[in-house]
Amino acid sequence: MRSRRVLVLLTAIAATIVTALLAAPSAAPHHTGGGNVVVFGRNAVIDHPVNGDVQVYRGTATVRDRVDGDLLVFGEGVTFEGNGRVLGDVILAGGAVKNGDGRIGGRLYTPSTIEGAMAMMTRTAVIISLLLAWMIVAVVVTLMNGREVRFSSVEVRTSPLHCFALGLVAVTSFVLTAIVFSYLVPYLIGIPLLFALAVFAVLTKIYGTVALFHAVGTLVAGARTREQLARRRWFRGDLAMVVIGVLVLGALRLIPLVGPMIWAFASVFGIGVALATKFGRREPWFLAWAPVEARAR
Amino acid sequence: MNDACQRYLENPEANPEHARECASCRAVFDALGLEIQAKPIAIDELPLAPWEGAKHRPWGLVAAAAISVVVLTVVFFAVAGASPLSVLSSEMSRLEMMREIFRLSSAAVRTAPLTWQVTIGVLFVVVNTILVLLLRRAPRGIDA
Repeated sequence: MRSRRVLVLLTAIAATIVTALLAAPSAAPHHTGGGNVVVFGRNAVIDHPVNGDVQVYRGTATVRDRVDGDLLVFGEGVTFEGNGRVLGDVILAGGAVKNGDGRIGGRLYTPSTIEGAMAMMTRTAVIISLLLAWMIVAVVVTLMNGREVRFSSVEVRTSPLHCFALGLVAVTSFVLTAIVFSYLVPYLIGIPLLFALAVFAVLTKIYGTVALFHAVGTLVAGARTREQLARRRWFRGDLAMVVIGVLVLGALRLIPLVGPMIWAFASVFGIGVALATKFGRREPWFLAWAPVEARAR
Repeated sequence: MNDACQRYLENPEANPEHARECASCRAVFDALGLEIQAKPIAIDELPLAPWEGAKHRPWGLVAAAAISVVVLTVVFFAVAGASPLSVLSSEMSRLEMMREIFRLSSAAVRTAPLTWQVTIGVLFVVVNTILVLLLRRAPRGIDA
């Protein structure tokens, strides 16, 4: 019992560190003063100096003058003209950079550069090394909470549609709740709330994925009869099912294009089953109120 | 109550013929509202429960799988000619990009047009209501 508490504590600390790495301010200087420009749903033309960051959502950016901070474009790319330059980083989620040579002071991040920078072999090596990390986590979680993982595994096989729907809604809820909490960032309470949400989301994802490993392992290699079970030396027990599940899902993850999609679906299933079973504890999330007379009947 | 009655009451399934002979035992079972199973339950015919054999720990399989994965990782890194440290640094740049996006977009949310903010508020309420409704459903799977 004590070791389980220690494990939960360590996992929470690890999740907090990961979240902190994501959320902590960068070491590089940022211009977060009042000069920021944010444009939603239309093209942005920067024809005057901007003493801050520029963000464009669903549109293109045309930079004709100096931007002191970073440029973030979730749209159709960025074009540099005239004296246009960005002293900070340029982050593109879609589209391309036109005429950008020597005009970006910081780093250029685009989906293609990040994907292309890593060769196929290296990417495979990274995926397999991540698989090793998942295997270690899965074994530890199963040793500590075997019964809970098994119960969640049974649930995902019994009600897959419910788990998937719950997972989709939960992921959407995490994102929307994070957006709403970000409104509270200036009032101090926002940061701890965001941390708590992120830690909860990471824990849900880890536990749910381990439960899904068990479910996949059981579907692929689980014993169907007692005779089968009695004959087996290795392919029986929660630990074996989890390890087989890691290997099967890991092998699927290596398939280009399809693999990441399968893994994403697995994550949705995992988050759904973790929440549906309250991390395998078979307890209701909400206590139902009932009057004393009704309960007595 | 004789010895046969005693044996029957202790294990009715093992002595089903006694119920046909003894009226007093039948009366006891009738009074309690219990059904007398004439046929003993065949455990082997029941479906395999998820917990059966679950505690077994095949460390050989775990070790074999872990060693295979480690060997594959080393081979792929060697073939690619990349060191794990260089890959780690490239992964860190992706983490840095995500951090930048998070920092910038969290500030952008507060300056979004009113229609976007209202949409986010409505979606927040609707999605979380659906989440609560889905969470109220009791789990169906039985680990028994």
